[in-house]
Amino acid sequence: MEGRRLPRFTMTDGGLPAGLWLIGLGPGDIGLMTADGIEHARACEYRFLEGYTATLPIDQEILLESVIGPWKRVMRPQIESPQNILELAKESSVAILVVGDPMQATTHIDLEGHCYDEGISFTIIPGLSAISLAISLSGLQSYRFGRQVTIPFDYGNYLPTSPLEFIYANYANNLHTLVLLDLDPSGMGIDPPSPMMPAKAIGLLKAMDERLIEQESSIPKSMDEAVADWKGILLTDLGTPEQRIVSGRLEDLAMIESGRIHCLILPAEFTGMESEAYRRRLLKH
Amino acid sequence: MGRKEDNIARATEVMHQRERIRNLAIAAHIDHGKTTLSDNLIAGAGMMSEDLAGKSRVLDFDEQESARGITINAASASMVHKVGDDDYLINLIDTPGHVDFGGDVTRAMRAVDGCIILACAVEGTMPQTETVVRQALKEKVRPVLFINKVDRLINELQIDGPEMMKRFEKIILKVNKLISTFAPEDVKKDWQVSVQNGTVAFGSAYYNWGMSMPFMAKSGLNFKDIFEHCAADDQKALAKKAPVHEVLLDMAVEQLPSPLISQKYRIPNIWQGDLESVEGKAMMECDSSGPLSLMITKIWMDPHAGEVAVGRVYSGSIKHGESLWAIGGAKAERVQQVAMMVGGDRIQVPEVTAGNIAAITGIRSAAAGVTIARDKDAEPFEAIRHYSEPVVTVAVEPKAMKDLPKFIGALQGLAKSDASLQVKTNQETGEALLAGMGELHLEITVYRLEEEQGIKVKVSEPIVVYRESVESNNSGRPFEGKSPNRHNRFYLEAEPLSPEVVQALREGHFGDGTIRNKDAKSVGDKFAEFGMEKNLMRKIYAIHGTNVLVNDTKGIQNLHETRELIIEGFNEVCKKGPVADEPLMGVMLRLVDAKLHEDAIHRGPAQTIPAVRNACKGALIRSRPVILEPMQNLRVDAPNDVIGGVTREVTNRRGIIEDMPVDGGTASVIGKMPVAETFGFSNDIRAASQGRAVWNTENAGFEILPISLFDKTVGEIRERKGLKPEVPVEANYSD
Repeated sequence: MEGRRLPRFTMTDGGLPAGLWLIGLGPGDIGLMTADGIEHARACEYRFLEGYTATLPIDQEILLESVIGPWKRVMRPQIESPQNILELAKESSVAILVVGDPMQATTHIDLEGHCYDEGISFTIIPGLSAISLAISLSGLQSYRFGRQVTIPFDYGNYLPTSPLEFIYANYANNLHTLVLLDLDPSGMGIDPPSPMMPAKAIGLLKAMDERLIEQESSIPKSMDEAVADWKGILLTDLGTPEQRIVSGRLEDLAMIESGRIHCLILPAEFTGMESEAYRRRLLKH
Repeated sequence: MGRKEDNIARATEVMHQRERIRNLAIAAHIDHGKTTLSDNLIAGAGMMSEDLAGKSRVLDFDEQESARGITINAASASMVHKVGDDDYLINLIDTPGHVDFGGDVTRAMRAVDGCIILACAVEGTMPQTETVVRQALKEKVRPVLFINKVDRLINELQIDGPEMMKRFEKIILKVNKLISTFAPEDVKKDWQVSVQNGTVAFGSAYYNWGMSMPFMAKSGLNFKDIFEHCAADDQKALAKKAPVHEVLLDMAVEQLPSPLISQKYRIPNIWQGDLESVEGKAMMECDSSGPLSLMITKIWMDPHAGEVAVGRVYSGSIKHGESLWAIGGAKAERVQQVAMMVGGDRIQVPEVTAGNIAAITGIRSAAAGVTIARDKDAEPFEAIRHYSEPVVTVAVEPKAMKDLPKFIGALQGLAKSDASLQVKTNQETGEALLAGMGELHLEITVYRLEEEQGIKVKVSEPIVVYRESVESNNSGRPFEGKSPNRHNRFYLEAEPLSPEVVQALREGHFGDGTIRNKDAKSVGDKFAEFGMEKNLMRKIYAIHGTNVLVNDTKGIQNLHETRELIIEGFNEVCKKGPVADEPLMGVMLRLVDAKLHEDAIHRGPAQTIPAVRNACKGALIRSRPVILEPMQNLRVDAPNDVIGGVTREVTNRRGIIEDMPVDGGTASVIGKMPVAETFGFSNDIRAASQGRAVWNTENAGFEILPISLFDKTVGEIRERKGLKPEVPVEANYSD
């Protein structure tokens, strides 16, 4: 495996060679974008903002051009059938800008595959992820997180139960779960994202629980309490001035209707360090 | 009190005596005199003026049907007939004689216990009659035979006694062959008809006389009398001595079963519930005091009363004012009127009891085939099996946009009253697609919109509905379908199903839709009865029309929670096949492997459905796709001197002539023709025969379109649908 980091790039080195550059923008505020990311984005001849796995606040989007130069939005169809972008990347340097850290949106690994198949140079410039922020802001210890899950929107009779199954497995191992929420009810990635609100997410968790019971699932239920009574930490609009963190019973968190983008932590038992950090943060607010 | 009123009074009396009820239908070919016969029976029983009979056609409600001289819808009529000292109630259900409306026939057969097969002495039984008889036998309806138009045999063809007997024997032999081929095993022998045992009658419906062995014994008349009366041109006298209604209604009373007898063997055939339950027992016993169970056979729009539902009461009784459920409906509804049908008249009665035919109003969610009961959760009668699928479509839209709401409402009404009509409307553009049994069926539907509803419409040229299928398979070479994000892959194999399985699927033998996990085993076992691999079919996921989806994978994680989406992808392909977006027919799709993203967020509907759709379509392309085109059986009768022009018209239209029997001066062309070639046939055949040809068709299923026409036909369909005219290849579905 190749693990070398390229020397820090600056504009004085001249233009970038042809290829595809996958650049992380950070979680929301352009101020959290890395210097490396800014330099590369500026140096690319074409810039596309991937607009369906996450979104920037509108003011930051307006600001973006002054920081890195003109850009165009691309949605799921252009990324999943990337022929046009790939053709461009054969001749020019092309940046795909992704909110957060580009590889946290795991689906983008497919782009690397496409580039490899067609002999196009492919480089990732990491960014700060909301996931990283969520963990550090919660005061919980990162090694105590289990598998991360995403709650998808339901569709007709279709409702996957595996997210809840993973949550149960984490509880059983006394591990916290970071729960991300879907932001595209259509799944098509064409319309501007419409992130899932807490009430919907918690409703879906309850529905998954009911379905597991209905199916007489063999998944061991590691929680005695009803889903509504579970404790949770709701993190809203991370990395922006509107950032807000609230904790409580899921039933109560479900009442929160403000905020743009949410994620949820379902903590297992706190260690001593964790409960102290939690208490300190409670006092601060 | 007039005779009619007196009869109504007697009818409401005898309705309660189950052993004195006969529910029967008349199965006949167009122009074989069925409506004339029905009218004569009704008139003879004193339900209408005798002079009108044969002219007014009580059973033809619609003015348009009279104008066209064919009967389009099944209506019912009750009448009283006296045998010895006892009154009997005869409930006659009219069945359509025209080939295009098979759906109504099947439904009518559910309501009756016996049927009179009407054969023409001159022409014998015709293809459509055979279709109707087949449907009757399948529903365990007992047949008797009436050979009509004997007067023509004697007067026009100058046939003598022995020759006449020979003709009769030929017809009887044919009917008995039908019975032994299609009747349920246990009654094949008992149900054979013969002159000797009184299950065959003959006569002239038009001249209103009939004859049978028992009637000869009763009246002292014989064959000689018949010949003499006909020769003397005095059939009126014959009609006085041997009125057709008396002969046939005697035969119905003596030979056909009462509901008390028939329901014992018919209920297990048409109802899937527990026969030992209270409801089951009540139906088996035809018990009027048991729980109500009524099956709607027909809805028609009465200009005054609105929607009238006609159906058979199998148990209990239906009273006006009570609250009932149309099973599957959203709420209980109140019965406004309960009536018996007498031709065009609805006679209101306080109740109609088990074993009878009732006409009710007020149950708005009723539709043909729906079960009515007092209990919301009552077990409904099994889905009525249709023998015909729509094969022709026209696009219809109102000429004036202001008519749009009325237009949509009118179409919904038509779809409800005619189960063989499929209606798809686009609420915004106001365009509707009507799919039906043939060009004539759709012409009549359009006529109803224009004349009865007063909505002027624009109608497109008729379009043939093709089917897609495969003639080979891709076993061992599964096709890979990828999700747009390429994280999910499905591997599918396709193969054609045997004609027997396709037929059983069409008849609803295995059900339709998604198969619940807990039902998969029993459904799989049913497929095994048709020679399919039991262990494979027990893994069935879904049925869509005549296509099945089977999950033949092992131990793939998370597959179960993707099940609905896989089925949805399959359903989409069943509606729109890979070649020309036409419906799929007679194919098994087997999921043999799948690779799923571990995280549910990356295998949602927008990823899984297209992946499965592509995998199915690619597998079908890999299995040598074919286009199936609908065929019609055809019979043209014309004088010998013009038959050459007829055969030329038929062969020019890719018709296949199977037989050309000559009978005196008349020749017939019997064969098959693609529906696609039938448009305009009516005019051309008229021209070719100087208007002297009589022709009939009936739907004859689908056949593979000749390979030489494949590209051209597919190109035309695709272009019409706004698709690229090129026939898709595997690569179209691989990425």
